[in-house]
Amino acid sequence: MTETTLAVVLGALFAFGTYLVLRRDVVRVVWGVTIISQAANAYLITMGDIAGSVPVLSHHGPPFSGTTDPLVQALVLTAIVIGFGTTAFALALTYRVYEEHGTIDLEEL
Amino acid sequence: MNQFVIAPLLVALCTAILTLLTRRFGRVQRALSVLGGLGYVAAVAWLVTAVYPSGGPAVYHLGDWVAPYGIVLVADSLSAFMLAISAVVTLPALVYATRHVSAFGQKVSFHPLFHLMVVGVTGSFLTGDIFNLFVWFEVMLLSSYVLVVFYSGPEQTTATLRYVVLNLVGSAVMLLAIGGLYATTGTLNMADMAHRLANAQQYGVHVAPVLGLTALLFAVFMVKAGAVPFHWWVPDAYAAAPAPVSAVLAGVVKKVGVYAVIRLYFTVFAAAPLTDLAVPGDTVLGFFGIVLLASAVLSMLFGGIAAVGQHDLDRLLAYSSIGQVGFIFAALAAAALRPELAAVGIAAALVYSLTHALAKSLLFLLSGVVEDAAGTRRLDDLGGLARQSPVVAGAFLLGGLGLVGIPPLVGFFGKFLVFDALAQTDVVVGLAAALVGAILTVAYVSNAWNRGFWGEQSAAVAGWDADSVQVACVVALALGVVAAGVGFNPILEFARAGADAALDRTAYITSVLEQGGGHA
Repeated sequence: MTETTLAVVLGALFAFGTYLVLRRDVVRVVWGVTIISQAANAYLITMGDIAGSVPVLSHHGPPFSGTTDPLVQALVLTAIVIGFGTTAFALALTYRVYEEHGTIDLEEL
Repeated sequence: MNQFVIAPLLVALCTAILTLLTRRFGRVQRALSVLGGLGYVAAVAWLVTAVYPSGGPAVYHLGDWVAPYGIVLVADSLSAFMLAISAVVTLPALVYATRHVSAFGQKVSFHPLFHLMVVGVTGSFLTGDIFNLFVWFEVMLLSSYVLVVFYSGPEQTTATLRYVVLNLVGSAVMLLAIGGLYATTGTLNMADMAHRLANAQQYGVHVAPVLGLTALLFAVFMVKAGAVPFHWWVPDAYAAAPAPVSAVLAGVVKKVGVYAVIRLYFTVFAAAPLTDLAVPGDTVLGFFGIVLLASAVLSMLFGGIAAVGQHDLDRLLAYSSIGQVGFIFAALAAAALRPELAAVGIAAALVYSLTHALAKSLLFLLSGVVEDAAGTRRLDDLGGLARQSPVVAGAFLLGGLGLVGIPPLVGFFGKFLVFDALAQTDVVVGLAAALVGAILTVAYVSNAWNRGFWGEQSAAVAGWDADSVQVACVVALALGVVAAGVGFNPILEFARAGADAALDRTAYITSVLEQGGGHA
């Protein structure tokens, strides 16, 4: 059940992100990219098996049932930090685009 | 421990930090930056002599955590060859930049960003871990975003917006592919992944999803390499960036995509058995061979045709580099389609990468010289440069002929090896497209020469005032094009060793995993 819900939510996020990326307004494009990258992060978490699996370092012994893969969390943490940096840059760039061109409409750039 | 593996990375990182700290003291910062560039060349030379020709991959375990749990840096002849390309291009570009970029620009951020870009490139060439490949890509891209928008005028902001949005979407796609590969194979370490894919049944790995996931990754690498159909950010970005940055983008950053294709598709993913899937080409590699060939043919034709009609020297060079990456991909396609001749194709791709790096960064720097000295790089406003400045014209001729492929310049051997690889593998479509691509190269180089360097001297050229240090950097690269061609044999040997390293999966797997007990 969790898997299905997550799959639907992820699909919707990717669809919405893609829709926004294809807009004419630069701010929406940046929002779209942000949503896509956050959806990718959420997807990455699901790759560690939601129901729990054997941890990567298996010298702690059983029971394993309550654990999730810590590696994907480390990956997502890294990806989130990078995502923040790039989003901040993209927003600053949007502002520069507006300053230089007086518009954020991609058709007029 | 093999400290030489991490040396180039540390040198570039330390230089980036030091140039950031000393930005109030212009002379000190410039001196440190150039010294750091020299140190980078020295570190790469150390790595090359340690790895090649002694053979086997050298592994550096970060924090002494063993593979596949810890993060590893791996240097073999393939990484060493790519690092050598990077070192040869970055040093002249850096020296050139100290004279080309405005004093204010250098003071603010140029040097730290430039070195961080080099850090990202170096990390991508050395990493033995697929998630870290993503991280190094981001390090490289974040610095390059700022460097492309460096002058922050209308043209630059628009170009960077495209470049940034495309690459951010690319990064998300890359994350998806990496997450999927981790879920499928249970590892991120490249050597461990190759080992598990080769023994899929033993590890319970489903090989079928790997094909789709690697296709996603492949699209990302084609974006980085600027190959058709992901080429459209290239002309704007290369034209917008400062000349030394364009030189590094075309000479080195583009090659990161090429390297990633060679490393992952020939060393790692080729291990996967795909016999029971009905895909064209029968194997993972064969499938990507067809994709590579299609992209290569389109790149060579599109890049060449678009370059012929350009009026701006930088744009002409940018379109030309779309065409040139087509030649590299054509050689790789030949290698992928005929696995028994893979070494020939990869060696050709490596030599061509070096050729393009030398010639194209020379030409981009030269375009910067022309813009600084004549105030324009529009070919219509230039003319008679050959009489005004024979040295610059001579350098352009060497770079241009290097692209065209006239012996004894290194470009000849690059072209020859690509044609040879295509002929040996009977890839007729590729051969025909490469022939047309080569003719188009002659057309756009002679077009630029006729309009910019011959004929009546224009008003812009009459006010010619070139900086001697800038010209010296261009001449140094031009001599490099000649020297690499005259003393070609060692380079060919090195490229062959690189190709062998890419294909010797067993050596790669055992040297990375031997100390980790990763086979358990």
